[in-house]
Amino acid sequence: MRQTNGQAKKRYAMVVELKKCFNCKGCVVACRAENQVPLPISRNWIEESGLRGRYPFLGMTFEPAACNHCEDPPCERVCPTGATYRSPDGIVLVDNRKCIGCKYCILACPYDARSVNHRDRVIEKCTFCLHRLPDGRDPACVETCMGHARHFGDILDPNSEVARLVAQKDPFVKKKEAGTKPSFYYVY
Amino acid sequence: METFEWGWLIVLYLFFGGVGAGAYFVSGLAIYLGDGNTYRTIARWGAYLAPFPIIVGSGILIFDLFRPWNFYRLFLTIQPTSPMSIGSWILMAFSGASVINALLWIPADTQERFFSQKRLKRWKGHFEWLWAPKTQERLRRAFGVLGFPLSVAVALYTGILLGAIPARPFWNTPMLAQLFLFSGISTGTAAVIVLTSFTRKHALTGDQDAKLLYTMDILLICLEILIIVPFLLHAYLATASIKDSLHLILGGPYTLLFWGVVVLGGLLIPLLVEIYEIYPMLFKKHMHHSRALEVASGILVLVGGLTLRYVFVFGGQVSSFDPKVAILGLGMP
Repeated sequence: MRQTNGQAKKRYAMVVELKKCFNCKGCVVACRAENQVPLPISRNWIEESGLRGRYPFLGMTFEPAACNHCEDPPCERVCPTGATYRSPDGIVLVDNRKCIGCKYCILACPYDARSVNHRDRVIEKCTFCLHRLPDGRDPACVETCMGHARHFGDILDPNSEVARLVAQKDPFVKKKEAGTKPSFYYVY
Repeated sequence: METFEWGWLIVLYLFFGGVGAGAYFVSGLAIYLGDGNTYRTIARWGAYLAPFPIIVGSGILIFDLFRPWNFYRLFLTIQPTSPMSIGSWILMAFSGASVINALLWIPADTQERFFSQKRLKRWKGHFEWLWAPKTQERLRRAFGVLGFPLSVAVALYTGILLGAIPARPFWNTPMLAQLFLFSGISTGTAAVIVLTSFTRKHALTGDQDAKLLYTMDILLICLEILIIVPFLLHAYLATASIKDSLHLILGGPYTLLFWGVVVLGGLLIPLLVEIYEIYPMLFKKHMHHSRALEVASGILVLVGGLTLRYVFVFGGQVSSFDPKVAILGLGMP
C-alpha cells in the first residue's frame, strides 16, 4: 500500500494560489454535489485568516482546506483494521468493507478533515475525486474554481502545473509541525 | 473539534477496562503472595470480579462503533502502529484468561455438582482432573500470575490509546499511559475493597487482607500523584499547543472536575482515609475497623477514576494543534 519515495510513479497533489481565492465557496458546493455529501458535514471548507494590517491597509486571505493526503497520515497509522490506506499514487482512502466506525481516525487527524456521514454510515473524507481521475478530469473543486486558484496534478511530474508552482513559488503546508508531510500546498 | 466523537460510552469503557484489569491484578498478587491460606478472599473475589467489567466494557465498545457489523475485522489483522488494533488483541486474551481464572475459583464441590447433572454426566469423567485440589490450586496460581502481564497491558493500553494521537495535545504525553495504568489498577483494587468489605468477618485474616489491599491502594494513589505532578510540569514547559491544552484543567471548563473530584475526592481524601484506617497496624495487630470508611474510600477512588477518564476523553477532544480552540475553551458537552 504505502510506497517509499522513488518507487511511486505518481503523487497527486493540490496547490492553492491564495491571492486568487476570494471565498466564493464554489468548491465547497461543487464537492457536495459531486460526491453527494449530506449536510451538515463537508469534505472541504474555507478557513479565513481574519483581518490583517491597519486601516486603510487591510488584508485578508482565504485558505481552502480539505484532507491533506499526507505522505505519513496519522489516520492511517491509528486505523485498527487497515481500512484507511494510501493508494500508490498518494491518495488517502477508506476501504468501507474494512471500516468498523471507531472514529479513531477522526480524532487522529490534525486537520479535522474527516467526519461521520450518518446517512450512509461511512467516514466521509476527500478522495481527490478518485472516480474522475481515470478520465483525466480534475477534481470537482478544481474544475469549478472561478478564480483558478486551485491546481491539481502529479507533483512528481516536473512538467505538471503543480510541480511548476511548487518549484517557482514559496509553498507552505498546514501544521507542518505535525510531521504529516501533506500533499496540499499553498502559495501566494 | 466542534463535536465530541468519543462520548460517555468510551469514558465508561476505559473505566471498566481499568477496573477489570485492576481486579485481576490484585487477585493475582493475592494468590502469589499468599501461602495457601492467606489472602484467599481477595484472590477469590478479585478473580470473580475481573471478567465482568471487561466483558461489559467490550460490549460497550462494539456498541459505540457506527459500523458495528464490521467489528470482526479487528481480528483479521494486526496493525502494529494502531494502539486500538494491539489493544483489541490484548483485550481478547485478557477476557479469555480472566473468564477461565474466574471459573477456576468456583469451589470444587460446586463444580462437581454442576457436572453431576443428568445432561452433563457423561462429561464428568473428562473434567474430574480439574477439581483435584492440587491441580486446581496450581492452575489458579498459574492463571493468577498470567494476570500480571495481561492486566498491566490492558490498563496501559487504555492510556496509550489516547496518548498516541499527536493531534490532541492534551493526550499526547508519555505520562498518560502510566497515569491510566496506576489509576486503572487502583480502581480495580478499590472495587475489590468494596466487594470484600462485606465478606470480612474474621478479625485476623480480615486485617491481613485489608492490609494488603490498603497498602496497594495507597501505593497506587501515591504513584498517580507522582504522575500528575510531572504531567502538569511537562505540559507547562512544553510547546505552545500542549501548554495551551493545560488551560482545560487550569481555569478552563474541566478545572473543578479535575481538581475537586479527581485529585481531592478521588486521590487525596481516600488516601487520608486509608492511611487513617491502616496506621494502627504499625503498632498493634489490628486496624481501625469501619465498614463505612472502607466502602466510602473505595467508592471515592472509583468515582475519581471515572471522572479522570471523563476529563481526559472529553477535554482531550477539545484540545488541538491550533491553540485558538483551546484558548476559546469550547465548553463541555
